[in-house]
Amino acid sequence: MKSPFCSLSFSLSFGIQDDHRLSASELETKYGTSISEGLSSAKAAQVLARDGPNALTPPKATPEIVKFLKQMIGGFSILLWIGAVFSWISFGIQLAQGTVSFIDQLYLGVVLALVVILTGIFAYYQEAKSTNIMASFSKMIPQQALVIRDGEKKELPADQLVVGDIVEIKGGDRIPADIRLIFAQGCKVDNSSLTGESEPQSRSCDFTHENPLETKNIAFYSTTCVEGTATGIVINTGDRTIIGRIASLTSGVGNEKTPIAIEIEHFVYLVAGVAISIGVLFFIISVSMRYKILDSIIFLIGIIVANVPEGLLATVTVSLSLTAKRMAKKNCLVKNLEAVETLGSTSVICSDKTGTLTQNRMTVAHLWFDNQIYSADTSEDQTTQPFDQSSPSWTALSKIVTLCNRAEFRPGQENLPIMKRVVVGDASETALLKFAEVILGDVMNIRAQNKKVAEIPFNSTNKFQLSIHKTDDPNDERFLLVMKGAPERILERCSTIMINGKEEPLDSEKAEAFQTAYMELGGMGERVLGFCHLYLPENEFPDTYSFDTDSMNFPTSNLCFVGLLSMIDPPRSTVPDAVSKCRSAGIKVIMVTGDHPITAKAIAKSVGIISATSETVEDIAKRLNIPVEQVNWREATAAVVNGMELKDMSSQQLDEILCNHSEIVFARTSPQQKLIIVEGCQRQGAVVAVTGDGVNDSPALKKADIGIAMGIAGSDAAKNAADMVLLDDNFASIVTGVEEGRLIFDNLKKTIAYTLTKNIAELCPFLIYIIASIPLPIGTITILFIDLGTDIIPSVALAYEKAESDIMNRRPRNKRKDRLVNEQLAIYSYLQIGIMQSVGAFVTYFTVYAEQGFLPSTLLGVRVNWENNAINDFEDSYGQEWTKYQRTYLQWTGYTAFFVSITIQQVADLIIRKTRRNSIFQQGNKVIWVGIFSQIGIALILTYGLGHVTALNFTPLRFQYWFVAVPFAILIWVYDEVRKLFIRRYPGNHLHPIFLSKENITNFPISSLLLQAGGTRTCIIKTHPHHCLLPPYGDLLPLLTKPLLLECPVCAISSMGSPHDGVKEFHDYEKK
Amino acid sequence: MSKETKKPFRQSMTEWRQFIYNPNSGEFLGRTAKSWGLILLFYLVFYGFLAALFTFTMWVMLQTLSNDIPKYRDRISSPGLMISPKPDTALEFYFNKSDAQSYAEYVATLRKFLESYDDSKQSQNINCTPGRIFDQNDVAVKKACRFNLSELGQCSGKEDKTFGYSKGTPCVLVKVNRIIGLKPEGEPRIQCASKEAGMVEINYFPPEGLIDLMYFPYYGKSLHAHYLQPLVAVQLAINSNSTKEEIAIECKILGSPNLKNEDDRDKFLGRIAFKVQMTE
Repeated sequence: MKSPFCSLSFSLSFGIQDDHRLSASELETKYGTSISEGLSSAKAAQVLARDGPNALTPPKATPEIVKFLKQMIGGFSILLWIGAVFSWISFGIQLAQGTVSFIDQLYLGVVLALVVILTGIFAYYQEAKSTNIMASFSKMIPQQALVIRDGEKKELPADQLVVGDIVEIKGGDRIPADIRLIFAQGCKVDNSSLTGESEPQSRSCDFTHENPLETKNIAFYSTTCVEGTATGIVINTGDRTIIGRIASLTSGVGNEKTPIAIEIEHFVYLVAGVAISIGVLFFIISVSMRYKILDSIIFLIGIIVANVPEGLLATVTVSLSLTAKRMAKKNCLVKNLEAVETLGSTSVICSDKTGTLTQNRMTVAHLWFDNQIYSADTSEDQTTQPFDQSSPSWTALSKIVTLCNRAEFRPGQENLPIMKRVVVGDASETALLKFAEVILGDVMNIRAQNKKVAEIPFNSTNKFQLSIHKTDDPNDERFLLVMKGAPERILERCSTIMINGKEEPLDSEKAEAFQTAYMELGGMGERVLGFCHLYLPENEFPDTYSFDTDSMNFPTSNLCFVGLLSMIDPPRSTVPDAVSKCRSAGIKVIMVTGDHPITAKAIAKSVGIISATSETVEDIAKRLNIPVEQVNWREATAAVVNGMELKDMSSQQLDEILCNHSEIVFARTSPQQKLIIVEGCQRQGAVVAVTGDGVNDSPALKKADIGIAMGIAGSDAAKNAADMVLLDDNFASIVTGVEEGRLIFDNLKKTIAYTLTKNIAELCPFLIYIIASIPLPIGTITILFIDLGTDIIPSVALAYEKAESDIMNRRPRNKRKDRLVNEQLAIYSYLQIGIMQSVGAFVTYFTVYAEQGFLPSTLLGVRVNWENNAINDFEDSYGQEWTKYQRTYLQWTGYTAFFVSITIQQVADLIIRKTRRNSIFQQGNKVIWVGIFSQIGIALILTYGLGHVTALNFTPLRFQYWFVAVPFAILIWVYDEVRKLFIRRYPGNHLHPIFLSKENITNFPISSLLLQAGGTRTCIIKTHPHHCLLPPYGDLLPLLTKPLLLECPVCAISSMGSPHDGVKEFHDYEKK
Repeated sequence: MSKETKKPFRQSMTEWRQFIYNPNSGEFLGRTAKSWGLILLFYLVFYGFLAALFTFTMWVMLQTLSNDIPKYRDRISSPGLMISPKPDTALEFYFNKSDAQSYAEYVATLRKFLESYDDSKQSQNINCTPGRIFDQNDVAVKKACRFNLSELGQCSGKEDKTFGYSKGTPCVLVKVNRIIGLKPEGEPRIQCASKEAGMVEINYFPPEGLIDLMYFPYYGKSLHAHYLQPLVAVQLAINSNSTKEEIAIECKILGSPNLKNEDDRDKFLGRIAFKVQMTE
């Protein structure tokens, strides 16, 4: 398949024409404009009419009505519609035959239709509510633009711009359209919304690159001008701009179905399959038993209604939105409800570095003076710096840091913590300013006391910054010259070096020490700056000396080198923990960044994406002192892949990298390459979460199973394309999201098991009614009251269930194997618990009839006479005679009794479903009580409150009938406790499939990790007194001692997402 | 790109065959014979246990019941009325008085119904005191009161073997549903009326449609085996000018305050409506 990325670059370069190559006058003729006069208003209006306004067409939203209809026919609705239509048909037939007595059928059809419509409206409402949260993110058009028209400068709304307009931009403006620059002064643009690279890029009017995307004389729509001024000709507007093209490309990338949607679909198919096959089977049986076709159709409806868990989809929606709310509190705003669970099944997270893993601000990390490297505190809320500040060298260095710096705090922020204050100045200077402020206190005051007399700002040719100050020492009349810049350039200008406050000659040994320190800091991916100073001799430079920065009438060499400072955008303090959580949760974290590989690797190491012990190919080469090419790259667990290499890779090569390395960093990647990486991961069968903030991230965000946009740094386009928005931009929030997602999947399983169980107790009455011809034990309407009445709140209550074990210590679920509803769950619910419930309910049913005069033996085979309206002297077991209505009323009492029995036994079902492995004594959840009380409360209201409304088929019930099923409820509970005990005691027993525990073998929790340093008895992860898990560290296997293995009768092996075949290795080891 | 490539047909067939029976592992439908056996055994034991439990609880429940009277009789506090003969489909009589075939079924039904009232069958029954509830609570063996067929007069089938159908004066027997322990108060009687006046003249046997209290209460099938419920015969003398018309007749039980006859929902509680259409 053709990668969308190829088509992206193709279509983009095709679109830009070659405006960047043309000269100003050629452009004037091409667009019929004049650089000095601009377009005439008339011409502009004409072009505007032709091209339309300069605005992006909003993405086409699915019409509301389509969304609504989807809810109406999705899932089980179609089955219920069939039921309703059948009801009406049978009513129609009866009407035509003149026997209108069956008005029930009309009524049942209406009720079924109502059920579908109401649940549909509910689901639609839920979805609309979560979509509305996102409505707040939707403005991305620059407001005003300064345009030259008719020879005059005018402020125009930016959407009025047309091709050929001459616009002026200055620092702080958003670029209003794609512009070919014809004049620029110190102009820098921030293209991060387009490319994701946050480093400002300079812009000029020179044609510097064939590729219109790379050339410096084009500025793109929606990017920001950071500083300087520029004038340019508008060459593209609206959807024809680069951004517009990307936006339209995004809508071209299809949204993949979410895993939970697939699971629910699978579940619906399963249940619908059961419903239809049982329905059809019994339709055939009843027809061959000489029932009338009409009756058979009515049976069919009953069977369908009994089989379909009407309330379940609504429950799932509620559970998901409850989780979504909980996640929003933890800074994950979920746009698409189903994404809640997707996050839980995530197996790969492709994360940005800047801002997500890091704090997105340069911070001083290390210092070097007196031949020693000091570490600085880089945490978010630093208030002091712990390193040794007693050396006089530090005093000198701190003075340079303070004085040789143009950055300033915005006024009026004295009460804010230093780290939160806004600074005017570039990133490095900001870092230095804050660093100095933290240590020295009021920097602005120090600067005022050391008055600046001359200054040379930093520029790219000099690569240094210099300033000259009067000192604050009244006895010292000398001027102080301070300088900072690229370390090697600074060193070149020095002849001495300060050691412990004393100037010493800079010999080769000291230069060597400098070099080592510089390499070391640089190797940590940090940006290093050198600092030096010189006290100007008082006699040569008296107080009145006039410094001229153009002629440089002062020394700039033979200075005294003082020290180095290195800066990095440090990782967020919560991230390392979050990454290690991901690791134990079997989630692979891949870093994708536009940054330099060394910086990327350093950050990856410091947050644990590359673990301390693992090596890249380059590391191995360095260690063994052999060329990189000779290293067997399979030995390296980590990999740092450069975007340049990625560009030339085939998808097979990418697959190999993704598959063979467990720790991967992609550096120097363009946001477009993210899409390729995402697709690569998806080819491995992974569920991929991707973070992104730039506009160009949108295709990757859409393509990913779950796209995560940054709430603070993210562009609106990214937020639109994403499934989730991280309000605090923090990687750690993703991990909490994963936790919630996993929990909800577990809990939905419980909800579904709970809901499915009673289907059998609802279905059996119909089957026995057909086969044994007894009076109908439970009516269709009554079933609806269970499904949509008593069972709803308990099902939702299960969503509040806490995790049974540490869910972050097990692998992500396998999309193909760990289904929401699997064979075991269905069989255990249907064939074991469901049957027990049916037995309990039937006992109640027979009790009610027997105590009223119809012994079980009398009931068999009576259906035809029982339901005959003309028979009004139906004899019971005691010789009494019953009219039809008296029988019907008794039948309703039977319905009520059956209903009450199911409800009582559902309480037991709810209790057993709370936990899947743990005993209920091991785990509490107060919301479950709400569920139980609501269940019984609703049943009481229906029976006694509405018992006189004929249409509902409820009758007040003798109180003792509430207790007939209680022994069976207790039996269910005891049975399940025994099952849980069995699977805890004998894990891996081959009877497990019967007892709903297969998943425990493939996906069981790790409760403790016995990873001891030193490596003697390592690498067994104990999961349970009887479980253990071997990680894939093949080389550690021989270290296992046999007794340890014997402690674990069943050892399942996890490969933790690595290519190692752990099981095989384990078997090999056992043979030895 | 994540789309799975479709497997060739032959391969998927082989996989299916492998699934149904795998000769290598001896697996049948994904399980070995032993595994299937165990599962089967499990369910056998499981369902066997449930069946035993069901039987046991039912047995316990039945032990709590009496053989003679049901535990509760609140669902039938007041009796329904029913007629004989009872046409199959609905309570509608269609016959031609000159065509014996058209009413043969009705006559046969009546005859059969009255068989148990035959004198020969009532030899064990006693003559009770008319007009009084026949209370036998203290007696172990409950006696049944004699109901003389002669009380049904022309509708007894003795003089007119066709119960009046051949003469255009068809008989319909109205009976009160048996309910254990029911003791009517007052002087219960059956009264019928045609909706349109003047179409039919109604005669009752016994006279005025009286139901004698001596037939109450009923003690149930096992204690009161020979019990015969009292009958009221309604003879409809259809006016000659009303033939070919459908005559709607409603009978009600009157004269007893504790027998309901006007329930909204139960159209047969103390009343019954039927239609008669006679041709010549």
